[in-house]
Amino acid sequence: MINSERDISIQNIAIVGNPNCGKTTLFNALTGLRQKVGNYPGVTVEKKEGRITLGNGAEVSLLDLPGTYSLSANSPDEKIVCDVLFGRITETPIPDVIICVVDATNIERNFYLLSQILDLGFPVIVALNMYDVAQRNEIHIDIKKLETTLGVPCIPTVASKGIGVKEIIKTIPTVRKSTTEMHHTLLPQPAEEEFNELVGLLQSNDKMQPFVARHEAQTLLSTPKDLHSFKNTISDETLSHVRKDYERFAELGFDRHSIFVESRYKWIHKIYKSSVKQKLNGQRTIHDTIDGIVTHRVWGFVIFFGLMGIMFQTIFAWASYPMELIADGFDLLGNEVGALIPPGDLHDLIVNGAISGVGAVITFLPQILFLFLFLGFLEDTGYMARAAFIMDRVMGKVGLHGKSFIPLLSSFACAIPGIMATRTIENQRDRLITILVAPLMSCSARLPVYTLLIASFIPNTLILGFISLPALVLISLYLLGLSAALLMALIFKKTLLKGSKPPFILELPPYRMPSLKNTLLHMWERSVLFLKRAGTIILGVSIILWFLATYPKLDGGTPSEKLAHSFVGRAGHFIEPAIHPLGFDWKIGIGIISSLLQREVFVSTLGTIYNIENTDDSTVSLREQLQKDIDPVSGLPLFTTLTAICIMVYYVLAMQCMSTIAVVKRETNGWKWPVFQFSYMTLLAYVGTFITYRIGLWIL
Amino acid sequence: MPKIIMFTLAEIPAGTSVTVSRLESHPETCQRLRELGFCENATIRCVTNGSSQLICEVCNTRIGLNYTTANSIIVSPLQ
Repeated sequence: MINSERDISIQNIAIVGNPNCGKTTLFNALTGLRQKVGNYPGVTVEKKEGRITLGNGAEVSLLDLPGTYSLSANSPDEKIVCDVLFGRITETPIPDVIICVVDATNIERNFYLLSQILDLGFPVIVALNMYDVAQRNEIHIDIKKLETTLGVPCIPTVASKGIGVKEIIKTIPTVRKSTTEMHHTLLPQPAEEEFNELVGLLQSNDKMQPFVARHEAQTLLSTPKDLHSFKNTISDETLSHVRKDYERFAELGFDRHSIFVESRYKWIHKIYKSSVKQKLNGQRTIHDTIDGIVTHRVWGFVIFFGLMGIMFQTIFAWASYPMELIADGFDLLGNEVGALIPPGDLHDLIVNGAISGVGAVITFLPQILFLFLFLGFLEDTGYMARAAFIMDRVMGKVGLHGKSFIPLLSSFACAIPGIMATRTIENQRDRLITILVAPLMSCSARLPVYTLLIASFIPNTLILGFISLPALVLISLYLLGLSAALLMALIFKKTLLKGSKPPFILELPPYRMPSLKNTLLHMWERSVLFLKRAGTIILGVSIILWFLATYPKLDGGTPSEKLAHSFVGRAGHFIEPAIHPLGFDWKIGIGIISSLLQREVFVSTLGTIYNIENTDDSTVSLREQLQKDIDPVSGLPLFTTLTAICIMVYYVLAMQCMSTIAVVKRETNGWKWPVFQFSYMTLLAYVGTFITYRIGLWIL
Repeated sequence: MPKIIMFTLAEIPAGTSVTVSRLESHPETCQRLRELGFCENATIRCVTNGSSQLICEVCNTRIGLNYTTANSIIVSPLQ
């Protein structure tokens, strides 16, 4: 399976490394493939593949594997790395060469994984990344000595600036497996004998390759798991030998759980001492002071909520100017295009169906971009991990730990990357709970719904002279989602998925200046994705909805009567009894049904419906139309502040996103959990909105 | 031989460096801690120590721990 020293035909290369070592940045620099770079553990959760051209013109595949600290496969993310390296994934070939990215400022910890990779006998190139930071921190690395000791090429790189990339590409065709002895875990003599005997058994009984046998022997001897869990892959004879080894290790006075890690670190310390000189100073650094403040039990929360407050205030205030420009642009487009097409069905389809439906959603692009700008900034500076750290205190109350908070915070942008980020959670039950509650966090698709209703029905006044009421309502909606997520997590932890609280160990990456290029790139990717959705799903739904809201036609009658007569009007009336207790009428019902696919369709649906109802030829803003809509029976406004709040509460709590359902199905390997999730969230939304409506009626 | 005084990591004030003596937790937690550098005889510096959590530095990396985990790391003063 692994290439011999002489014959090496390279087709597949993989990048491995610890989280936060700049692995993904190096991947981008090597392939030119654009991808998000973050610096909290677990940003690389998908299979990322690119192609690079070597010096001899050969094109090879480069695979970016998730960040991992070791090959112990604790979390699903780490399991992927092991599965690829051991050839357990059918569609992914075993890599011919491995580029092991090592954080040059953190060699000791990063070498743990490197030693495990070297043990497997792969041809390896070591990329000593963030070499500039190491030099600034007065860490002097003797590269020649390191190369001789490790027996593999070591290349200093600064991936963010593309330094060292050419050297890596040049070295790939010449790389061979390590020339040094593969004994990075040399045990004390009697233990080493037992170990070698087991390696021999795994080769003869279980037909393992020598390198794999060594890794498996270490796993079997040090595993905290019951040996029964290995029954499917290891023969009974070998397993009974392992049991005897346990007794032998105990007799010899060795702790089988720690002996391998200790001996590996001994090897690392030896190399570190001989090849690296670091000026140590015990002084308190500026980073210590910042950490002391941002993770303080009082100030930490003040800073966190302050940042969130600024974020939401900015989303509302700054984004309003480009939003007005976009809205005006679409009005102008509607009027201009409308003037070119004679009145009739085609005119209505294009102006009232397509342009107003798509325009209603695209207007919210600036707000979504501001949200991504903020979240990207928090992630790139290293603050996100600190936020997760302080939130462990809150998450602890519901039986989860701070690690679950990162996926939840990412879900503010979109539940899909949030759910994928749960792969860094080792405990399966906690991971499932996090997946189940992540869509309760208000994602960017809810923003158009929130901001349309807030701008239409919440007065733009100041509270305490500086907090705007719309921003306060917006932050309350986000807090409602967060509280609902924590409450549901607590309920799941106490009932369906009982378990003790796992230990909390989280790496806090060093503070770094955020890269404007990375953040802008990410915002660009999100814009393209959003506009693609607007141009495909939302355009499609808008056109279908226009058709369903126009036919069958009613000769004569008011626009409202015509709409009520249409297919969509009938469907809305059909579900009206079910949603009437929530204070919703049939038009809102149409919005809810059509936005089952994705939430922002609610806004385009209202855009289409109200433009069909609008007798005037000119396009009137949706906001004004909602404010003016009168119930023909009672003569009272159809939309009140209470109705708007009820709709927002419904959207905070309801699932309404097919893409999320698809991702949950993939991540949980079946339909059981997505169906459960959709059902509980719809029920929660119904009950939550009902209570809000009743309380509202009682107060108002 | 002089008696070595032992503490748990949770008891160490900010700014102090100590040596790991042993780990007393579930084997899986111990394995994860060791892989992150908290192995026996490793030097740890406590960066901040709050009421229920602390940040420490091991192998040049900052790690955040809660007290339950920090209490399972038995340490002694630097020799």
